[in-house]
Amino acid sequence: MMNGYWVILRTELFSLFISPATYVSTFYFLALLGVGFRFFIESFASTNWILPPLSSLSVGLIFGSPALIPFLTMRTIAEERRLGTLETLMSAPINAGSIITGKWCASYIFFLLICCGAYAYPLLLWAVFPEQALTLGFNNFEHWIGGFIFLMSFGASFTAIGIFASSVTRNQMVAGMLSFSLITLYLAIMAFSYGDPSEVSTNSSFEELIQSIGGSLNNGLDKLQFFAVGIIHIPTILHQLIVVFLFLFLATLQVERIRH
Amino acid sequence: MSSDTKPLPIIEVLNIKKRYGLIQALKGISFSVGKGEIVGFLGPNGAGKSTTLKILSGLIPADSGEAKVCGVDLAEEEGEVRNHIGFLPENNPLPEDLRVIEYLNFRAMLKGLKGSRKRDRIRIVLDVCDLERKVSERKIGNLSKGYRQRVGIADALLSEPRLVILDEPTIGLDPRQSAITRKMMERLRGEVTFLLSSHILSEVEACCDRMIILSHGQIVAEGTLHELQTEFINKTVFEVVALTNRIDIHKKVRVLDDSCELLQDEPVEINGKRRFIFSTEKGEVLAEKILRHLLKDASLRIFEFQITKPDLETIFLRATKKNWEESDLLAKKSRRIYKENST
Repeated sequence: MMNGYWVILRTELFSLFISPATYVSTFYFLALLGVGFRFFIESFASTNWILPPLSSLSVGLIFGSPALIPFLTMRTIAEERRLGTLETLMSAPINAGSIITGKWCASYIFFLLICCGAYAYPLLLWAVFPEQALTLGFNNFEHWIGGFIFLMSFGASFTAIGIFASSVTRNQMVAGMLSFSLITLYLAIMAFSYGDPSEVSTNSSFEELIQSIGGSLNNGLDKLQFFAVGIIHIPTILHQLIVVFLFLFLATLQVERIRH
Repeated sequence: MSSDTKPLPIIEVLNIKKRYGLIQALKGISFSVGKGEIVGFLGPNGAGKSTTLKILSGLIPADSGEAKVCGVDLAEEEGEVRNHIGFLPENNPLPEDLRVIEYLNFRAMLKGLKGSRKRDRIRIVLDVCDLERKVSERKIGNLSKGYRQRVGIADALLSEPRLVILDEPTIGLDPRQSAITRKMMERLRGEVTFLLSSHILSEVEACCDRMIILSHGQIVAEGTLHELQTEFINKTVFEVVALTNRIDIHKKVRVLDDSCELLQDEPVEINGKRRFIFSTEKGEVLAEKILRHLLKDASLRIFEFQITKPDLETIFLRATKKNWEESDLLAKKSRRIYKENST
C-alpha cells in the first residue's frame, strides 16, 4: 500500500506541474506578493512593525493562502469523483488513506515550492542591495528558518483543509469555494486574538493545558512572534499537525463512504 | 460441463446479500467459477450484476454471506483480492488528460510492477489489446469509445491477473470492436479466468463457456448454453417453407402429433412462399418424422425444413420472466397492503 502512496504522490505532482491553472495562479500570487513585499520594505522604517521585516513575507503567504490553496487542491478528489476515476483507482491495490495522503503531500510540496519562490524576493534584495539587506536583518538565518517552519506548519493544515473540501463534492468550483471559506474561517479564528501572545507555559495547571491545546485556534497567528525570531514553538506545530490529521481523516472517511 | 471435469474454483460465492438503503440489491446469491473459465453474467438493468462484480473485486463489501476470490476471503481481506484480479468498471472511467502509455505506466506502478517487468507487461497488453504505438501516444480524452474500452481492458490485464472482471466490456462498441474484444478473450482462454457482464446476448453466447442469469438480485438460471436450452425450452421448434396455406399444413402435421402448435397466426411470406413455425413437445425425432410425412404430399410443395435451437435471448426472457412476474405480484401486494393500512 506504501507503493501506492508514492505513485499517487508522483502522479499528482506531475499533474500539478503540467496544469496551466496552477502556473497562472502561482504567477499572480507571487507577483502580488512581490509587489506587496517591495512596498512593505520601502516603507518599513515608517511602520510600527515590531517583528523582523522578513516575517512580513510569512504573513503575506499565510493571508494569501485562502486564494492560493484552492487552486492546488480543488481538483484532487473532486475531479476524480466527476470523471468516476476514483472507482478505477480503488480497483488497484491501494487504500483510501494512501490516496488522500499522496494527494495531500503533492499539494503540500507544491505549496512549499511556492513559499521557496516567495523567499527568492529577500534573497534577490540581498544580492542586489547587500547593505540594506543587512540593515533589515536578512543575515539572521534563524529568521529565515523560523519563518519557513511557521509556513510549513500552517501550509500543512491549509492544504489538508483543501483536500477535505475537494473530497466532499464533484464540482471543482464548489470545492474551491468551500476550501477558500474554510481556510478563511480558520484564519479568522486564529487571527481574532492576534497581538496578544500567550506566554510559554511553565505551570501545568488544567486551565493552561486546555489553553495550550486550543492555543492554535485561540491565539494562533500570534505565535509568529516566536517563529519570526527563530524560536520554534512546538505546541503550534503539534496543533497544526492535529488539524492535518483531522481533515485528512475526514477526507479518507469521505472517500470510503463514496466507495461503499 | 459435468462436475467431474469442473476446474478448481477461482470464485466461490455463498449466499451474499447487499442492500442499498431500502433496495435489496442482492438477495443471497451463490455460485462458483472455475479456473480458466469464461463466464457471462447476464441480467436486466438493476438485476445486481454490477453490485456482484464490485463485491468480487473488493470495491464494496457485502452485507452478509461468504465470498472467496483467488483463495482470498473477501470478508477478512477485502483489499488483498485487488492484488490478484483485473477489473474493468462499468462505463470505464479514465483520466482524459493522460496519454495511453502514461496511464498504463501509472496503473502498472500502482499494481506494483517495476523496471523491465513493467515495460514488458505494458508492451504485452498493448499488443493483446491491439493498441498500436500511434494510439499509445495519444491522449485518452481524444480516443474513440472502442479504443478507450481497450485501454481499460489493457489496464485490467496489466498485472497478469488470475481473474479478470469486466463490467459491460462491449457496451457502445461497433461489431468490429466487439470482435476484437472477443478475440482478445479467446487469446487468453485457459490462462485467465474471465467473468463478464453484458447486455449483448449474442456476445455472451459467442464467447462464454457458462452463463449466470440474474434477476432482481437472485440467480434465476445458471449453466452452459446447452444446459439452459434443455432447462428452459423443452419444446422443439421447427420451420417449414412451403407453397400452401396454414390450414392444410397444420392438418397434415396434426396427423402425426396432436400437440404440435403453429406458433404464428399469419405465416411470413418470402418470395411468394410461406414460412410456418411449429413447436412440439415430442422432440427432434418426431420433427423429422413430420418432415418425411410432409414430403410425401407433393401438393404442399415443401422448399425448406429446419429444426431451430432457441437462442440465448429466448432463454434470457424465459428465465427472467417468472422472476419479473413474482416481483410485480409482490409489489402489487405491498401497494395494496399500504393502501389498506392508510385508509
